[in-house]
Amino acid sequence: MTIAVCLKWINASGQTDVDDDRFMGFSYADQAALEYALRVAENTNDEVIVVTAGPVGAEAVLRDAIARGAHRAVRIDIDRSHDSATIAQAIAQVVAHCALIWCGDYSSDRGSGSVPAFIAAELSFAQALGLVEIQVPADSLHPIRALRRLDGGRREQLEIHGQAVISIEGSTARLRRASLKGSMAANKQAIDIVTVNQVAIETPPTRAYRPRARTIAAPVGSSALDRVKQITDTSSAKGHGETVHLEPREAAELIVNKLREWGYQS
Amino acid sequence: MTDTDIIVVGAGPAGSCAAIAAAKAGKRVVLIERGPFPGSKNMYGGVIYPRILDELIPDWFEHAPIQRWVVRRSTMLLSDTGAFNIDYRSNAWGQAPYNGATAYRPDFDNWLAQQAVAAGAELICSTTVTGLLRDAQGRIKGITTDRPDGDLTASVVIACDGVNSFIAKDAGLYKSVDASNYTLGVKETLSLPKSVIDERFGVRDNQGVDIEILGGTSGVNGGGFIYTNLDTIALGVVLKLPKLSAQKKRPEEIIAELKRHPAIAPLIEGAEVIEYSAHVIPEAGLDMMPKMVADGLLVAGDAAALCLAAGIWLEGVNFAMASGMYAGQSAAQAVTAGNTSASELQSYTKKLNETFVLKDHKKLRKIPHLVLSDRVQHKYPGFVTGIVERMFRVENPHPKPGVRRILREERKKAGISLMDLVRDALTGLKGFG
Ligand SMILES: Cc1cc2nc3c(=O)[nH]c(=O)nc-3n(C[C@H](O)[C@H](O)[C@H](O)COP(=O)(O)OP(=O)(O)OC[C@H]3O[C@@H](n4cnc5c(N)ncnc54)[C@H](O)[C@@H]3O)c2cc1C
Repeated sequence: MTIAVCLKWINASGQTDVDDDRFMGFSYADQAALEYALRVAENTNDEVIVVTAGPVGAEAVLRDAIARGAHRAVRIDIDRSHDSATIAQAIAQVVAHCALIWCGDYSSDRGSGSVPAFIAAELSFAQALGLVEIQVPADSLHPIRALRRLDGGRREQLEIHGQAVISIEGSTARLRRASLKGSMAANKQAIDIVTVNQVAIETPPTRAYRPRARTIAAPVGSSALDRVKQITDTSSAKGHGETVHLEPREAAELIVNKLREWGYQS
Repeated sequence: MTDTDIIVVGAGPAGSCAAIAAAKAGKRVVLIERGPFPGSKNMYGGVIYPRILDELIPDWFEHAPIQRWVVRRSTMLLSDTGAFNIDYRSNAWGQAPYNGATAYRPDFDNWLAQQAVAAGAELICSTTVTGLLRDAQGRIKGITTDRPDGDLTASVVIACDGVNSFIAKDAGLYKSVDASNYTLGVKETLSLPKSVIDERFGVRDNQGVDIEILGGTSGVNGGGFIYTNLDTIALGVVLKLPKLSAQKKRPEEIIAELKRHPAIAPLIEGAEVIEYSAHVIPEAGLDMMPKMVADGLLVAGDAAALCLAAGIWLEGVNFAMASGMYAGQSAAQAVTAGNTSASELQSYTKKLNETFVLKDHKKLRKIPHLVLSDRVQHKYPGFVTGIVERMFRVENPHPKPGVRRILREERKKAGISLMDLVRDALTGLKGFG
């Protein structure tokens, strides 16, 4: 079986919008993901394939991962300016056959952590995202037990079975060092390149965000100042915010209806 | 069968040139650097004389990451309040074939190492060499590193690991280590807008300035420097180690005092310190050089104490690049000949003797000691500025004093005997050739 790890090629120096070979690498979260994938694969004798989406320079992180023990590497030749959904769509097609897909929870170049969720949605895999603790079984892929961070210091316990996308925090594991011979061999290893044409990307039509028009009653008041205040004054509570106690399905329905009512959803 | 033909330790200027030369000669070369990328751990004052690259990279000046081409060189003598400046300018130095250039080491060293990679060398970073591997007869046959499965064998190891070379010491090539042969170099990088630097230093575009300073080091024997980058100034001091520790002064205090000197303060006014760095310099030239060749081992650059620190010249990078290149060439020849014994590798020292590398060191052998001597350090700056001050001061209604009188009086005031003055002048004349 094959275990995939998604690595994002980033500038680790903090200058996130400059590609400077000297400072490029992958986030701590991605490093932890690679470490867990290698551990699992060692236990089960599975193959680890590392995937990145980006230009030729990004192959450096793939070679680094191979030096540390990954078996195969694929670079998806795609412009990184695509949105997360498109990148995830491209990655999904390369990793669709994999048993587990490991990702960092978000990359340190202002990543939002959405790519793993999009990959899971694209492949209809289970998703366990934003994990803070993981236990992998000694000699099988499943079940992986994990803790997921929730709001307010709460934790959710998960048990992962079947094909799944897992994203984890950087603090969960320290990536092993590559051996010297491993680095030298990795410099020579071939990297598979998948061009964007080979992965069929359906880019959803994008258009500027325009909330739907809705009718607002004209402000009433005797003086112009009163009327302006009615529209602009934020100092007095206007009754926004409502706490509801509902079953998840009903709560979701309520939110969708409200969004529709406020013009955010058509 | 060895893992590779030649291992080069350290991707500084010496190591990268060794790797370029050996790879161009068709050998398998592994270049090992402890930093995450070449140059990441390296510091210096700021001026490189790269003409020696003509042989390895003929069009280097088109591609090297240069900040400014030096078109003005000054030597400044500082007394407590005065400054005597000798300044030479040639705009021709700003055009091919060029002379000196300011550059940042993380840029320059990385670029040079990439030239080695382009020539076919394999660069491995984030890896520290921890020792030498030897065969049963004690002959060097490779290195150990801090990486898992980290031993690597080769026919020749070239140590370019910089000052205090751990490898040269491990191989027993240094007789003994004496702190008085070293100076501590400390530097601040000061940020200013380019237009301000251009105006204050009288340059434009990518023209740059190199100022060497004698005096102004708070009574600790040493010297100072100021170099211009595009939008920063490198300002630093070089301090004799035993004197520094005896005087219990901190190097940053000495820099602060230099920055307050009336001749320096206006140059750097309003600048922000964006970097502070320090490094040791092998200062004693020929008097401290180790043996540079052993069976299967060559030593180049600062690792072999080849840095030239002789007053108005602080040149290490060009000596490192040249010695590295010659080491790479000799190692490649020895590998081709199938004999990497010390006697075969002596072609390296022969080459050093025939070229500027050891010729300059031999010629200037006495200069580092002279420049760092107490008299030159503590008496001559006051003596010279005293003479100049009186020659240019108009004290009417008094008539101008004669030059001989000024010389005599200022010499007495500075406490220099005529004998010492003559002796130092002769040493200087002989030393500078
Ligand atoms: C303050 C100061 C100012 C100077 N100003 C100038 C100047 O203006 N112009 C000039 O020409 N020279 C100057 N020099 C001298 C110059 O910096 C050196 O002579 C030059 O850097 C020597 O080059 P190198 O390649 O021999 O050594 P280095 O530049 O020191 O390079 C050694 C390399 O080896 C690596 N290394 C060390 N140990 C190991 C190990 N065990 N394993 C793996 N890698 C290792 C290091 O990380 C480094 O990259 C100055 C020096 C100082 C300190």
